[in-house]
Amino acid sequence: MHQSRPTRLLRTLAGWVVVGIFFFPIYFWTTVAFRNAKDIFNWPPKIFVFEPNLHNFEEVFGISLTLGPQVVNPGGGNFYMAPRLLDSIIIATFSTLLAIVVATGAAYCLSRMQFRGRHHFVNWVLSTRMMPPVAVAIPMFFIFKQFTLLDTYTGIIIIHAIMNLPLAVLLMKSFFDDIPTEIDESALIDGASRWTIFRRIVLPMAKGGIAASAVLCFIFSWTEFLFVLTLTQTSLKTVPVVSSTFVTSIGTAWGNMAALGAAAIIPAFIVVLLVQRHLVRGLTMGSLKQ
Amino acid sequence: MKDNDRKRYLASVTDRFAKGQMGRRQFLKASAALGLAGLGTSMIGRPSGLFTPAYAQEALTPSPEVIAWLKDVAKPFAGTTLKLATEATPPSNALNSQLKGYFEEATGIKVEIEILPLEQVLQKLTLDVASSLGTYDLYYIDQSWAASVSQDVFDPREQYAANAALAMPNYNLDDFLPALVDGICVYEDRWVGVPYDIPVFIMIYRKDIYDQFGLKAPATLAELLSNSEIITKEMGPTVYGTTGQMKSGHYSLECDWTAWLWGHGGSVFGPDGKFTGNDDRGLEAMAYWDKLKATMPPGVDGWTWDGQGQSVAQGVAASMLSWGEFFPYFDDPTQTKVSGLCEVAVPPAANLLRTSAETGYGEIPGVGHQGGSSLAVSKYSKAPDAAWIFMQWATCADTQALITSLGGGTGPTRASVYEDPRVLANARVGAGTTRHLNVVRETIANHMGSEPDLPEWAQLSSDTIPVGLGKYFAGGYGSAKEALDDIAGQVGKVMEG
Amino acid sequence: MSVAQVKRIAISDSPVPWLAPLVALLVVFTVYPLLYNIWLSFHEFVPKRRALEFVGFENWVQLWGDTRFWSAMGVTFVYFFVALFFQVTLGMGIALLLDAELPGFGMLRAVLSMTLVIPPAIAGMMFLLMQDPQFGVLTYFLSQLGILDQTSPILSTSSTALAGVLVVEIWQWTPFMVLIFMAGLRALPPEPYEAAMIDGASAYQVFRRLTLPMMSKVIAVAILLRGIDLFRVFDYVFVMTSGGPGTATYSMSYYAWQQTFTATNWGYGATISLVSLLIVIVMANVFISVFKIKW
Repeated sequence: MHQSRPTRLLRTLAGWVVVGIFFFPIYFWTTVAFRNAKDIFNWPPKIFVFEPNLHNFEEVFGISLTLGPQVVNPGGGNFYMAPRLLDSIIIATFSTLLAIVVATGAAYCLSRMQFRGRHHFVNWVLSTRMMPPVAVAIPMFFIFKQFTLLDTYTGIIIIHAIMNLPLAVLLMKSFFDDIPTEIDESALIDGASRWTIFRRIVLPMAKGGIAASAVLCFIFSWTEFLFVLTLTQTSLKTVPVVSSTFVTSIGTAWGNMAALGAAAIIPAFIVVLLVQRHLVRGLTMGSLKQ
Repeated sequence: MKDNDRKRYLASVTDRFAKGQMGRRQFLKASAALGLAGLGTSMIGRPSGLFTPAYAQEALTPSPEVIAWLKDVAKPFAGTTLKLATEATPPSNALNSQLKGYFEEATGIKVEIEILPLEQVLQKLTLDVASSLGTYDLYYIDQSWAASVSQDVFDPREQYAANAALAMPNYNLDDFLPALVDGICVYEDRWVGVPYDIPVFIMIYRKDIYDQFGLKAPATLAELLSNSEIITKEMGPTVYGTTGQMKSGHYSLECDWTAWLWGHGGSVFGPDGKFTGNDDRGLEAMAYWDKLKATMPPGVDGWTWDGQGQSVAQGVAASMLSWGEFFPYFDDPTQTKVSGLCEVAVPPAANLLRTSAETGYGEIPGVGHQGGSSLAVSKYSKAPDAAWIFMQWATCADTQALITSLGGGTGPTRASVYEDPRVLANARVGAGTTRHLNVVRETIANHMGSEPDLPEWAQLSSDTIPVGLGKYFAGGYGSAKEALDDIAGQVGKVMEG
Repeated sequence: MSVAQVKRIAISDSPVPWLAPLVALLVVFTVYPLLYNIWLSFHEFVPKRRALEFVGFENWVQLWGDTRFWSAMGVTFVYFFVALFFQVTLGMGIALLLDAELPGFGMLRAVLSMTLVIPPAIAGMMFLLMQDPQFGVLTYFLSQLGILDQTSPILSTSSTALAGVLVVEIWQWTPFMVLIFMAGLRALPPEPYEAAMIDGASAYQVFRRLTLPMMSKVIAVAILLRGIDLFRVFDYVFVMTSGGPGTATYSMSYYAWQQTFTATNWGYGATISLVSLLIVIVMANVFISVFKIKW
């Protein structure tokens, strides 16, 4: 839609201001990562003026740039958290893969194949997301213990994948719904099997949708808290849970927490950036044909 | 001795020690005599965030006898893995980051310590105990949970007597301060582990501000109030007289409450087991607390001890009656604005104190509220013997002295550790100081208050009482009486089960 | 299974092989916990005997008369409606605003989505710090604007505590809605808009008569997905207020957690969870039928 120049200017300004407001807390939090406790607690609060230093990052990542070697113990300090970042990446990536693999086929089926009770089946899939987290975490604890999945990468990957299945299935089904069934039907007439149609025709067309679903699955796994807390001990932990270690009995290490938090935004944000074209273009919930 | 001279002499002493020309004991004596402020800053670079050893790293290693015993006794257990979940307290951090390595090297037993905030430790403990799955081999048990899990752990006295082969020589169970054993571990004549850490309320105040107004450390509750009122009046709202840990629905609020309650001769329970927080003395305490709150920064309603500590550290509050563990942090110049400006004193004397005979469930009134924890071996552990070895090592006098020196000046639970030269050496201004430990020790001996021991206490102290009190301070009740009567009712319901 | 058999299944039109992995995983994840919680709600954990004992309907009866439960339900509903309202309206508004190729807007759209990658527990701590009455940035701004009195801390005053938590919720999840709506907008056909322009319709009319109806399905599904998660709010309450002050921010999920772990009333906690589940199921189904969402 063509708009007049002043309107465009206003709109640009508005856009920047709105996103700026949303971005401000992130900016502030990142600066906290670069401060000493002295500079975090002030009135009026110091927003732009403070002495930056890499202290917090060094403690969290175990690298000593300005501190002497006695003070920072690489690989053993109190707040050494870098391996946890890796854990988070591993878990989010693989659970996303698992979720997408399972969900795509199911979503295609739900989009294309008519069977009795289809509507209710989808409702049931959706309802699996409705339980309060604590109600699921405890029975899962027992099952995991039974199958020695407790405190393992496999266990958390599975649970995160399952957690994301309803979302993935629903989203992907909408993308498939967007692709006209005539394509399938003409291919069927030509004698192709469902599987072939799925793999060679429909799937490539739904790439955007898959990307979008994958990103959301990644984000939900990256930020999940209660399951990781309940089902892990020492072998692995993800960033959200390990951040609470900064709440010690003699005070919260805000600077270190912010350092880890800021660092943790980066991998997830990279994933979002890579996919964001597809995200915006492809994320239709479909069914615009009423 | 002039500062420059002192530093030069210290340097030469250190030099000789490093070159092996001086024995360790001589070195310790010499540096102690010189006052270790110099030693601290010359040996180590900028202090790290929370913990700084004032000693060279070489001086702070376990004693050879301990290591020898470990190597000897742990031979059959090499290759086992032990798990423990604990709160992020200085001892646990010190163990996990610096001391654990010695144990693992000597014994071949791997120890995995999960460090979490207190509520999450409780979650893990509850789950493990209720399911008897033995996911953890050792438990870190806050004294308010001791009654709930007393049956799930071994009594260390029995362990020590039963396993002569594994008993650590000179472990000395009597060395643990009796007041702590009573307050933290004893439940129905069982020991629920041994005392492991002892955060206890002491009076911390800004000497410079107090001097400015000609005030002395408060000896009575009334003095605390009047001191705080004076300071708030003259220096508010930039600086307030005192501060609190009054977050609604959080255990910290209950801790503050007990200090004032006990200080006014009240108690949580009576000998018949009924809630007595709403009797006359309890109401007196609330009236006092209301007045005291007016001298606190407005943020107290949202702070746990964390925010409370920050308010003193950043110069917003001039005093606090809270965990002694904070004190070393206050002395750290990179993190706080008050390094060297704070002093300690025992808590103000109570107006009146009920005796334990007049309270219920083993409650021991005293203004110095203690929040200690114990360490115990789980009955469901798959490796109880290896766990017992670790537990003895982690709580023996030598390790505890190291923890205290490395772990930011936290209070020891053993009498002998208070006298240990390494601990005494750290009694200077600077991060990791131990100069408050005399006061801590005296508080433990004469002013300590311990909460009642009953299985429902975890719920009462972490939820029922602080939610009710929080509602009161947010204005949700007409009067303190109404609030406490309501709490009494709810406590009654919980007790009925 | 022989290759021929596999091939036959692949060719056939049965939904079973397509859905089997999904069903298998979901059954473990949902049916077992559901049954377990139902069973649990008829029992209670007795610490003295270290066992779960059958108590019949006691938990359910107790729930009915539990004021804190009803208060938690109230809090959860208020949270739900307020958050949903703001997230949908702001989300739509921002989506319309940013749906253009103006300078830097591509980057802005990406930056907006940064709020989603922050774990809610950390976002909660961020805002806890920003709303600190002594040192918080937000407190500072609001008091400068005269809206807030520094003596009433946001998160410790009953009337504003929930608002303080909602700020985080809305801040973090509005971009989620923005993303979904933007995609929906992108997929709209251009013809009706060209026709409207020729007819000289105003922007408002275009929005109300064209965009909104065409987007209704998208909006409905977005509401459904977000609404389900809103009702289960836990992380923010856990980290920021512990349900306080008093019970002003005590949500149902938080109450269930507290009963399960702090009070070790497993059965009661399960009962609370089940009621929460029931409410969400009912609301979702009503919503689906009212908006005629057909899967």
